[in-house]
Amino acid sequence: MIRLSSLVPLFALLTALPAFAATPSVDEIVKRSNHVAYYQGQDGRAQITMTIADAKGRKRTRELVILRKDAGAKDNDGKQLFFAFFKAPADVKRTVFLVWKNVDKDDDRWLYLPALDLVKRIAASDERTSFVGSHFFYEDVSGRGVDEDKHELVKETEHYYVLNNTPKDPSSVEFSSYKAWLHKASFLPVKIEYYNKKNEVYRTYEALEVKTIGEFPTVVKAKMKDLRTGGETLAEYTQVKYDVGFSEEIFTERFLKNPPLEYLE
Amino acid sequence: MNYRTFTTEIATKHPKAVTAVMVGLSLLLAIITALPTLWPSSFSSLHALKVDTDPENMLSHDEPVRIFHDEMKEEFSLWDMIVVGVVNEEHPEGVFNVETLKNIHELTEFAKTIHWDSESNPSKKEGVIEVDIIAPSTVDSIEPESLGTVRFEWLMSTPPTTEEEALAVRTKAQRLPFLNDTLVSGDGKAVAIYLPITSKDISYEVASKLQEKIDTFSGSAEYHITGLPVAEDTFGVQMFIQMAISAPLAMFIIFLLLLYFFRKLSLILSPLVVAVVSAICTMSLLVSTGNTVHIMSSMIPIFVVPIAVLDAVHILSDFFDQYQKTKDRKATILHVMDTLFVPMFYTSLTTIAGFGSLALTPIPPVQVFGTFVALGVFFAWFWTIMFIPAAIMLISEESLEGFGLSHSEDDDKGVLSRLLHAVGNIATSSARPIIAVLLILSAIAGYGISRINVNDNPTKWFEANHPIRIADKVLNSHFGGTYMSYLAIEATDPNNEDVFKQPEVLRYIAQVQAHLATSSQVVGKSNSLADLVKTVHRELFEGDETAFRIPDSAAGVAQTLLTYESSHRPEDLWHFVTPDYQKTNLWLQLKSGDNQHMAEVVEDVNAYIEQNPPPIPLHHQWFGLTYINVVWQDKMVSGMLEAFLGSFVIVLVMMIALFRSILWGVLSMVPLSATILFIYGIIGLVGKDYDMPIAVLSSLSLGLAIDYAIHFLARARELEKKTGSWKAALQPIFGEPARAITRNVIVIGVGFLPLLLAPLVPYQTVGVFIASILFLAGVSSIVILPSLIEILQGWLFRSSKDTSL
Repeated sequence: MIRLSSLVPLFALLTALPAFAATPSVDEIVKRSNHVAYYQGQDGRAQITMTIADAKGRKRTRELVILRKDAGAKDNDGKQLFFAFFKAPADVKRTVFLVWKNVDKDDDRWLYLPALDLVKRIAASDERTSFVGSHFFYEDVSGRGVDEDKHELVKETEHYYVLNNTPKDPSSVEFSSYKAWLHKASFLPVKIEYYNKKNEVYRTYEALEVKTIGEFPTVVKAKMKDLRTGGETLAEYTQVKYDVGFSEEIFTERFLKNPPLEYLE
Repeated sequence: MNYRTFTTEIATKHPKAVTAVMVGLSLLLAIITALPTLWPSSFSSLHALKVDTDPENMLSHDEPVRIFHDEMKEEFSLWDMIVVGVVNEEHPEGVFNVETLKNIHELTEFAKTIHWDSESNPSKKEGVIEVDIIAPSTVDSIEPESLGTVRFEWLMSTPPTTEEEALAVRTKAQRLPFLNDTLVSGDGKAVAIYLPITSKDISYEVASKLQEKIDTFSGSAEYHITGLPVAEDTFGVQMFIQMAISAPLAMFIIFLLLLYFFRKLSLILSPLVVAVVSAICTMSLLVSTGNTVHIMSSMIPIFVVPIAVLDAVHILSDFFDQYQKTKDRKATILHVMDTLFVPMFYTSLTTIAGFGSLALTPIPPVQVFGTFVALGVFFAWFWTIMFIPAAIMLISEESLEGFGLSHSEDDDKGVLSRLLHAVGNIATSSARPIIAVLLILSAIAGYGISRINVNDNPTKWFEANHPIRIADKVLNSHFGGTYMSYLAIEATDPNNEDVFKQPEVLRYIAQVQAHLATSSQVVGKSNSLADLVKTVHRELFEGDETAFRIPDSAAGVAQTLLTYESSHRPEDLWHFVTPDYQKTNLWLQLKSGDNQHMAEVVEDVNAYIEQNPPPIPLHHQWFGLTYINVVWQDKMVSGMLEAFLGSFVIVLVMMIALFRSILWGVLSMVPLSATILFIYGIIGLVGKDYDMPIAVLSSLSLGLAIDYAIHFLARARELEKKTGSWKAALQPIFGEPARAITRNVIVIGVGFLPLLLAPLVPYQTVGVFIASILFLAGVSSIVILPSLIEILQGWLFRSSKDTSL
């Protein structure tokens, strides 16, 4: 549900959200938020610059283009396909992450390493591994299953719904709970705090800038911070486009070695 | 007025005032120290007691090796580590059973919660660094799954529920070079958890919390908490136990011995009062001037007390022997002080010079130690000449009735007296054989010194049966090693880019590691960026062992590492390389923390790099606690030697001045030289390592041995003049002066044996060696000196006819 990520808001289809006079149900909030964060438009494209900084201020940048296409039945917020193509730094250029996000089973992931001329399927016990060395998790990019947590509306302010979320299977995640601030008008998650067993915040997400692209409000700058290490990653989205009209075949192993450059430049 | 009795006149005239001033001054100093220590907030302008048990502080903060160490720790996000080793000797699979792994999991979860807000900076946390914990549940396993698939998962995200699952944890970990022999022992029976902590000085606290948790576990597994930080911090706690028990116990034994020799409670209290007052004044000044109580400075009272008692015992011994001749307190004490003032002044001055010379060593805690012991000796001297006479005056004449020896007893009856006279006779009648034996023994001692093994290891400061030593032994037998040292490597030319992505550079590092693995018994294991790249590369190629290699291009390396960065712990990479790939860190696990072993590794690596130059010029430099210990010890050995030689020369000059004769001056250095020669010869012969306490003892030898020589020679010369011949003087010399020396040896030597009961080896060492030094110094003074005088009497007494002392 609420999990959003920064990269993701780009792809979505929903558009203007009708303003509700009454507070929607928790399920409704969660569903809408998931939708605006990950499912706007039928497909989407964005160039992402990630600046990964450690507590000492040492910075590294990664540039990639992410293509997304919804593959499930229309508007059911189901299966999605992602093609993440590295542009920089030079020594990882043309590296590709291909992801088939499945709602009812583990995601399928492939990695193409051009220097080793190697295509690997990647399996992971969970989706809370780092996304290419940044402070974002893989799950922050692709979205956390709405049904994996119990959601509770703990507060409603003038602009936000504040939800507290606890995992149904605590052993599969490193957090005890997380709290999300969802913007009432757009349903975009604007801030998320992750809590550990001692109920201390140890990780935070913040949407720093939102632009309306076409009809979709989209987070174009977001920051994930690890309070334990003091490191943080800033993700900035440029050249965001929705409903480009990719064909599904791009999102197959065959295209890993021969990427669709027309969408990537 | 006679300058030798000037102070005694004052003390005997105003005994109460002298006592009041002494007590008042001590109380004042003690209060200045106690107030800020007990109520720090109310007396913040004063210095409170600060304890510093960190051997790193053997070097000053601005030493290049420490600055570099701190920089590298920061650069590679390295922390001091507590290691919890878990072994299970009863279960056939060691700790790889459901119950033990469950406890290990629980302990790790508990360790994650050990942190709190820093008192000095509430925005910072202190405690265990959660993200860098190395434990089965906090590290990633990477393995090939089905064909074409590589899998990342937590090695043990939840405790296993079946024995098969428990064994699978071991199988997975042992495949990964990073975990094998580090997390899981090479024999597959044990697990070690590495807990990085924010600073060393909280390690005792963290270790105690872990122990509490461990105590709640049932089952047959054993948990050993170790690591250099724990050893160092635990040492600090035990140091106080030692200061609170061993030192007072030593005082008590000295008290009993004094009581035995002088049988007058009111009288023998005075040397103890002088000792206590000197120790209090010294330690109070130490604390209130802002110095820390360090491993070295905690020993100051142990050094000040015997030296303080020493002079007082000389006075009491003489007083004891002479009182019955006059039955007049004041006349007796004036006479005693007239005789003893100059020797006491010189012995104190030489002792001050001996310890003061330590201020010239390049090691701050040794400087503080030397300076304050010297100050303590000054206090001891001053209060001895002021308070001992005053105390004697405060005892009524009636109560001294029957005190001391009658003249006849003096010469004939006492066992000690008879023994000493026999020694005197043998020393003079067999002078030449004695000196011959001395020369032979000196040659043997010289050989022993040549075999001295310079070495130290803070873990060995604990007794062999201490839990820390046991843990050390158990863990280093199972694992690659619990002593960490690190080698930072960077390109000499900063214009090289992405140096540590270059395949040939990584292969070179792997080559150095391969060399270390075979050449050294001490290096149990090494970990580097090369290992990491090779491991991930292998897993990318279905776990094929032939793929356990560095890829052929820098881009191949970069993409292999990008894969690694998609794991749960990408940040581990930065322990081995900086994000710009310009500097790498080779992590060595050593099985021994002995300085000499670390020094061997350093030499080995230097030699290897010299003979096998890297593909591009690389610069390497060591860091880590184990290496820092080597650096300070080198400084300590050379610093101590220079300080000792310096003070030896100073004392010789003082002796020549005192005796106004080069020959007498040189003669007075003989017992001291013999003592040092024998002590260090024995250390070399028995194979005791020359470590921190042993190094410091050379100064104590100098201070104590010269003391006896001065007393003996001064009295010998005086008596020779009085009696007209060396032969005639022999009888009185081996009376009261020899007895004073012997009593001194016994009282102080025996008095310090309680240090053997101390729980820490450095204190035991000091106890044994103080006793040995006293014994040797005493024997050399009353045996070697008369033998030499016998042989050299023609020159000695001819040249001194017209001088007076």
